[in-house]
Amino acid sequence: MRNNHQLRDATRRHFFSDCGVGLGSIALTSLMNNGRLASAQTADSSEQVISNPLIPKDSHFPAKAKAVIFLFMAGGPSQLELFDYKPKLAELSGQPIPESYIAGKRFAFMNSSHRINLLGPKRTFRQHGESGAWVSDLLPQTASMVDDLCIVKTCKTDLFNHAPAKLFMNTGSGLFGRPSMGSWITYGLGSECDNLPGFVVLQSGPRGPRGGAVLWGSGILPTTYQGVPLRSTGDPILNLSSPVDVTADQQRGVVDAVRELNLKRLVATGDQEIATRISAYEMAYRMQSSAPDLMETSSESKETLSLYGIQDPGESSFARNCLLARRLVERGVRFIQLYHTNWDHHGGPTENLETHLPSICQEIDRPCMALIRDLQQRGLLENTIVIWGGEFGRTPMGEVRESTGRNHHIDAFTMWMAGGGFRPGTVFGETDEFGFGPVDNPIHVHDLHATILHQLGIDHERLSVRFQGLDFRLTGVEPVHVVNEILL
Amino acid sequence: MLTLIASCLGIVLTGQIAEAQSAVKVSFNQSIRRILYENCVSCHGPDAAHRKAELRLDERESAIASGAIVPGNPGDSSLLERVTSHDDKLVMPPKDTGKSLTPVQVDLLRRWIAEGAEYQKHWAYLRPDCLEPPDTVSGKPESPGHQRSDHPIDRFVRHRLSAAGLTPSPMAAPETLIRRLHLDLIGLPPTPEEIDEFLNNFGRDPRVAIEAKVDELLASPHYGERWGRWWLDQARYADSHGYSIDAPRQIWPWRDWVISALNTDMSFDEFTLEQLAGDLLPDASESQKVATGFHRNTQINQEGGIDPEQFRIDSVFDRVATTSSVWLGLTIGCAQCHDHKFDPITQKEYYQLFAFLNDQDEPSMKVFGSAEDGQRLNEQVRQLEQAAANYIRERQSVLGDWEAGLNDKDRESLPKEVITALKEGAKKRSDAQWRSLFGAGPGKTDLDFQKIVEDLKSIRNQIDSAPTTLVFQERASPRKSTILIKGDFTRPDAEVFPGTPALLHPLESSGGRANRIDLARWLTSRENPLTARVIVNRIWQQYFGRGIVETESDFGSQGTLPSHPELLDWLAIEFMDQGWSMKRLHRLIVTSATYQQSSTERTDLRAKDPHNYLLGRQQRLRLEAELIRDAALVASGLLSKKMGGPPVYPPIPDGVMGTGQVKHAWNVSQGEDRYRRGCYTFAFRASPPPVLNVFDAPDGYSTCTRRLRSNTPLQALTLLNDQTSIEFAGALKLLIENKGLEYAFRRCTSRVPQQDELSVLETLSSADAARVLLNLDETISRE
Repeated sequence: MRNNHQLRDATRRHFFSDCGVGLGSIALTSLMNNGRLASAQTADSSEQVISNPLIPKDSHFPAKAKAVIFLFMAGGPSQLELFDYKPKLAELSGQPIPESYIAGKRFAFMNSSHRINLLGPKRTFRQHGESGAWVSDLLPQTASMVDDLCIVKTCKTDLFNHAPAKLFMNTGSGLFGRPSMGSWITYGLGSECDNLPGFVVLQSGPRGPRGGAVLWGSGILPTTYQGVPLRSTGDPILNLSSPVDVTADQQRGVVDAVRELNLKRLVATGDQEIATRISAYEMAYRMQSSAPDLMETSSESKETLSLYGIQDPGESSFARNCLLARRLVERGVRFIQLYHTNWDHHGGPTENLETHLPSICQEIDRPCMALIRDLQQRGLLENTIVIWGGEFGRTPMGEVRESTGRNHHIDAFTMWMAGGGFRPGTVFGETDEFGFGPVDNPIHVHDLHATILHQLGIDHERLSVRFQGLDFRLTGVEPVHVVNEILL
Repeated sequence: MLTLIASCLGIVLTGQIAEAQSAVKVSFNQSIRRILYENCVSCHGPDAAHRKAELRLDERESAIASGAIVPGNPGDSSLLERVTSHDDKLVMPPKDTGKSLTPVQVDLLRRWIAEGAEYQKHWAYLRPDCLEPPDTVSGKPESPGHQRSDHPIDRFVRHRLSAAGLTPSPMAAPETLIRRLHLDLIGLPPTPEEIDEFLNNFGRDPRVAIEAKVDELLASPHYGERWGRWWLDQARYADSHGYSIDAPRQIWPWRDWVISALNTDMSFDEFTLEQLAGDLLPDASESQKVATGFHRNTQINQEGGIDPEQFRIDSVFDRVATTSSVWLGLTIGCAQCHDHKFDPITQKEYYQLFAFLNDQDEPSMKVFGSAEDGQRLNEQVRQLEQAAANYIRERQSVLGDWEAGLNDKDRESLPKEVITALKEGAKKRSDAQWRSLFGAGPGKTDLDFQKIVEDLKSIRNQIDSAPTTLVFQERASPRKSTILIKGDFTRPDAEVFPGTPALLHPLESSGGRANRIDLARWLTSRENPLTARVIVNRIWQQYFGRGIVETESDFGSQGTLPSHPELLDWLAIEFMDQGWSMKRLHRLIVTSATYQQSSTERTDLRAKDPHNYLLGRQQRLRLEAELIRDAALVASGLLSKKMGGPPVYPPIPDGVMGTGQVKHAWNVSQGEDRYRRGCYTFAFRASPPPVLNVFDAPDGYSTCTRRLRSNTPLQALTLLNDQTSIEFAGALKLLIENKGLEYAFRRCTSRVPQQDELSVLETLSSADAARVLLNLDETISRE
């Protein structure tokens, strides 16, 4: 990043050197202490407080976790090739699924490629660790760490097309325009980092996730709380770099002059929004050096890089994003979401279970486990919830296009959680002999959301916003429960 | 937003406390309704399926029949017993809801029951009261420092202010005033030249100067752009299909229709009628059909593997929700799945509204400018084709001779379509084949024939290049509409027919099955208690940052009460009396002293009315996203004032278009299209233009009846570093160098800088000063 060090130096020279002091509490008077504005100071203005909408807020009750890392496997991983071992499915492979399972059900691609013949698991499974969790040969690293994971095999969602289902997993609704979980959480708790956004999104894989920016949108909440994508090429944040021909000193000079003139206007009009804007400019300026700093992964030790399997720290990958996730947690960022595409293994030419599933598993297996181990080693896992999963799972019935795959499936799919007070070494929820539906302990997306909020000290029923006459909340209006069985 | 609502509650509570402390009779609408609706009615209200203990507290008869309320006798009323119970099993609301009544609320309930427990219909469902504005002149004396006013709006506002012991603020400085008027009415700040002219006129006679300015701005075509965007928000307009594929769509002719309708001051009832039912009007014109694009601004899902019917139904749901929010200010989406929990709207009534909007096909239509043009062009094509056919028929023998004279080699060298025509037997040849044959043979050197062919080609081109737009087209036979259980389109229940909620005035139908014309007329009927109030309120909100009813899309029982109910009613009646003219309404509002007063904070107001509900001052407002762009374009002198036409592509940061599933092209516009107003920037729903998105431009997914105004670091980064900002600053730098800092300052803020402000800027290079000016909070605000 050009001028990075100059910028940082300029920051030190002119600005709040102690990042521990949240801007939220800095009174205008302290900004005036530089003397320039002493003459403009009035009794009125001395009461004004510069407000920062991301200032940390108290939770409803004591929290077990402070941060969330959501590893979003976009497209819908096949639980039947990874975690949900079904010998019966192998036995009856090629035969139609009994009518009783699918009567009245609806699936994606109903009119074209949807098939009703069962497809046996394509991989071999073994039990691992003290918990005896079944994991297939596609995820050896994950298998070696099952005793650190809380695996839930009976996740349920409502929608079976990608974009609506992704929205549902993120916002609790299939409709566009609702806040995502990361927005709700930063809205509810603020952020402990005052030089990076409170909700950060990282992406890897061949294409962006279906649905795009609405997946991390703030919907009816102010845009302050929307997810900010950290980009792997160019500026990590849109418009982060100063214009090409502007030096660090010039940029500082511009920001200082803007602040000075804004302060004069604040005093003249008394409008508190100007105070908020002054604070926003200062945070923006700090982001100009803190965001490039964050991206400097080459400063990590060789051991750490090899733990994640990163060869070139400058190259964008899921592994690098996992490392960045840890660096973000260290800096106090509240919610970090990683999207990795493409898990949509229908059996098409670039998305089948035979070759493409193994290669994407290889991309994520080591980095996910490295992230957990790295957080553990630094004492951060205890306070950080790591979530792994997609928008839905895949059908026990096979799909035969150019090669073999499975269709979208919403009745039962697997996700795992680690850290943040989730009970490690747990396998929760059992599915029927084909892995079609739960036989016990179904966990609906809303239950999962409620449980995550609970660990962060938030009562999901109280985190609500009145909009257009309705009280909106992440977990919707139907009854929802916190799944205490999977918590410590 | 939360603080706003909380503080509004504060005002209501203050009202309650006032009533609690005084000897005034407790009013149901003022005090009791909110207590019952927030604590009791979700389980003991209109929703039959979820009603507990068969108890209804939203209706007096039921509440009395069940013994919950015994009028005149609080001691025997079980309602009071339960809300004051110390037994965890008996107390209401139940412990697990986390709700409980305050002692003040309990006391109000007790007194209200003792006084007879009279219910009142919710205010918004009663027709507006026709009241004379209060006479403030003969009341309390006007305080010094602000002008006297007989303006009806001021009389209402000052009446309330003086009741609270407050005075209005003095008139804003003339520079502030002209900037405010410009930004509010046309969305463009004034240039220093315009300001000077206004100051001159203002010096002679302020009132005349202001009124002339208002008339000038309302007559400007840019008025339609500024207020068109207001309507586009509500119509959830964007230029793509949405969902994950988000392919571009063409519906900008509808956007241009809105701008033009506003500029010609089409009355709001006609505006409603054409947009909801233009296609059904007798001899519907092309423009009236274009108008039906209003409800084609729903998303279309093109993802693989979907059931199209599911998403068609979703779009009908969206149309019901939008119609209801935009015109009625009612949120009825919950009745999609069950009877409304708070307002008496049943699930069946929801699907009766649904039935109005379920009977259309959804085609796209060529737009020629007017229906006559389209017909004329098609007629010309027909005539020219006929002329060509006649011409050829008269020369059949010449053509025959030519054909017979062709050897194999000649044939091979002919264009492909001619060879095909030759192979076709003479009887089977189409007119087009005859033309290409004749054109390759005898017609090749025949200038008369060439002329016909050229004309045909040019008119065909005109037809092909005409834009398309999405419209409604009524089906020959209506679809069967049913209640959908839990809103699930795979679970139809009883059949329903178009109809309106019984809560409101009856629907008048011309006979037979009611259609969208009937719906539009019902919405803008004089009998309708809601539409005029809702629209007036939403226009008011643009001028003061908040509606008279703060919950601008919820006038139902869960919404906030109006801060000035009499003023709202008076404005609604005036709006209708003035023929639903929006321009007259704008004029009425901006000529009031309430609108024209200063927005500067005052210590006494901050103490007594910190959120300015009583309007003792104007409100300082950050500009809307598009206006931030427009203001910078004006300041830097780059603005193109070209109106209408296809959306444009100003520069955006690299990589923005790659975040969604499909990477769409963004070929940056060249020439003046690079500098068009923000309302013409191409809006993809799934990857919205960042410069607009970061300043809270709506995403077009659902109706937006009020924009948020956020204030974030990403906005700062945009104004500091975005390529467009750099370009604007580059142009402003040249202005600084040619005309000086003071001039540039005025272009940005509309006022002359103070000396100390100038000194800050003078320490900087002109390039840096230009960037500072474009980043000032004042530059992106209207004060």
